[in-house]
Amino acid sequence: MRKQTYILFPSHSDGLALEKKLKEKSIKYIISPTPRSLSKCCGISIIIDPELQYLVEEIVEQNKDIEVSGIHTIEKKARNWFK
Amino acid sequence: MADYRELWDSLDMDLEKHDQLCEVLPEFYGDIYMTQENRAEGMNYFNFVVSEIHGLRIKELNEHRKDGGKVFGSFCVFVPDEVIMAADGIGVGLCGGSDFWVPDGEKVLPRNMCPLIKASVGAKLSGTCPYFQSADMLVGETTCDGKKKAWEILGEYTPMHVMDLPQMKREKDYTHFKEEINTFKEKVEDLTGNKITLESLKEKIKLVNDKRRVLQRLYDARKSDKLPISGKDSLLITQVAFYDDPNRFIQKTNELCDELEERIEKNISVFKDDTPRILLTGTPMAIPNWKMHHLIETSGGAVVCEEACTGTKYFERLVDENITDLDSGLQALSDRYMGINCACFSPNEGRIEDIIRLYKEYNADGVIYNSLPFCHTYAIEYKKVKDALDKEGIPVMMIESDYSMQDAGQINTRLEAFFEMISMNKELAI
Repeated sequence: MRKQTYILFPSHSDGLALEKKLKEKSIKYIISPTPRSLSKCCGISIIIDPELQYLVEEIVEQNKDIEVSGIHTIEKKARNWFK
Repeated sequence: MADYRELWDSLDMDLEKHDQLCEVLPEFYGDIYMTQENRAEGMNYFNFVVSEIHGLRIKELNEHRKDGGKVFGSFCVFVPDEVIMAADGIGVGLCGGSDFWVPDGEKVLPRNMCPLIKASVGAKLSGTCPYFQSADMLVGETTCDGKKKAWEILGEYTPMHVMDLPQMKREKDYTHFKEEINTFKEKVEDLTGNKITLESLKEKIKLVNDKRRVLQRLYDARKSDKLPISGKDSLLITQVAFYDDPNRFIQKTNELCDELEERIEKNISVFKDDTPRILLTGTPMAIPNWKMHHLIETSGGAVVCEEACTGTKYFERLVDENITDLDSGLQALSDRYMGINCACFSPNEGRIEDIIRLYKEYNADGVIYNSLPFCHTYAIEYKKVKDALDKEGIPVMMIESDYSMQDAGQINTRLEAFFEMISMNKELAI
């Protein structure tokens, strides 16, 4: 399974603000529910390619109003629920 | 997300039990949905809605209620959203698509009852569904005996209004349902304290029609030879339509449709060529019941259309927008809603005509008739549907299944055999 980098946020509005920036810069991303292994919150996170993490860190650095509560790279294995 | 915990607490939810649900849902969604390849970027909005399923929308409902607004929870496509909205209320479809709630439902209901009803009642009793907790009134209907009697029990826990849906389609039945809509209108006016006017009803008829139009646009994209979106994603969008803010939903689904139409122009598909195209018909699939679509689309098929309440029954046909007074507005609503071919009606030839029409419109290769256990009307109606499809030479298979995982292997085997038969027939036809 490929590694994925999850960006976590204190609120959905921070997530949407970052999404807007990623769109402007044509950086590929996926909005995702936050995996339980990373946080107990039931909220959004954004998945990016681990190689693009530095670009996201740059955006966060330049946009102080966007709060990020963590960036984690994990290898996530899908579970077969209907087995 | 401390603010949501406070919010859930204020809604008198069982936080500990709800936490168990939160543990499962995101993982379940992630594994079922996020593993699909080449999804349209517009699906990010729906990923967002699901990620925030107990967050943002609940917060919006809470703000509406703080401002004096009312929230109505419903379970069926016969409850006219237009009436709720015209009195500045918010209507939300309620969940009932997970095994998680079934044991709590079984505390007050018999075990041999459909999982949808057991889960819906269980969701309320367990205090783990913030939509139930946000509803100032629940609106039931008489589409089946199980629901009809369950409302009496649910009414002990929460304010309940039941609409009497006729079981036949004679002229007097249309008149009766119009009267029922009028009674519901008065109930809504009482609870909200807002009188429905011709203008407000007209405006909301237009808004709900716009929601129907965008869903039809989505479904039209699925008629393409190259499928730009999976059935699983389309089902999710229809499920979200029941409870999302309508204006936002219309905007975001239109954006997605722009992308899907662009994909069609560029011949981009999420399925490989010659994947058997399946028309799914039968019982509603409440969120998060994605089981049958997931099994079909991981067994070699593609769902191209749902003739179901979470499908064409929800959005096909519009309410007449040219109403001149409140009475003609109620008539227009009755005409549109009574046109739905629910299996509760007898006779119900219209549903068979719909299935054959949709099979052709969506260029399907076969029909899967999906029924929840103990859903007698749909299960019994299978015979009439099968006889008609046999006459037309349309392959059909019935699958009865609940929300559990145990029968998945067996269903997979049956699906694979069905798809193989469809593919062989196609080869022989060539």
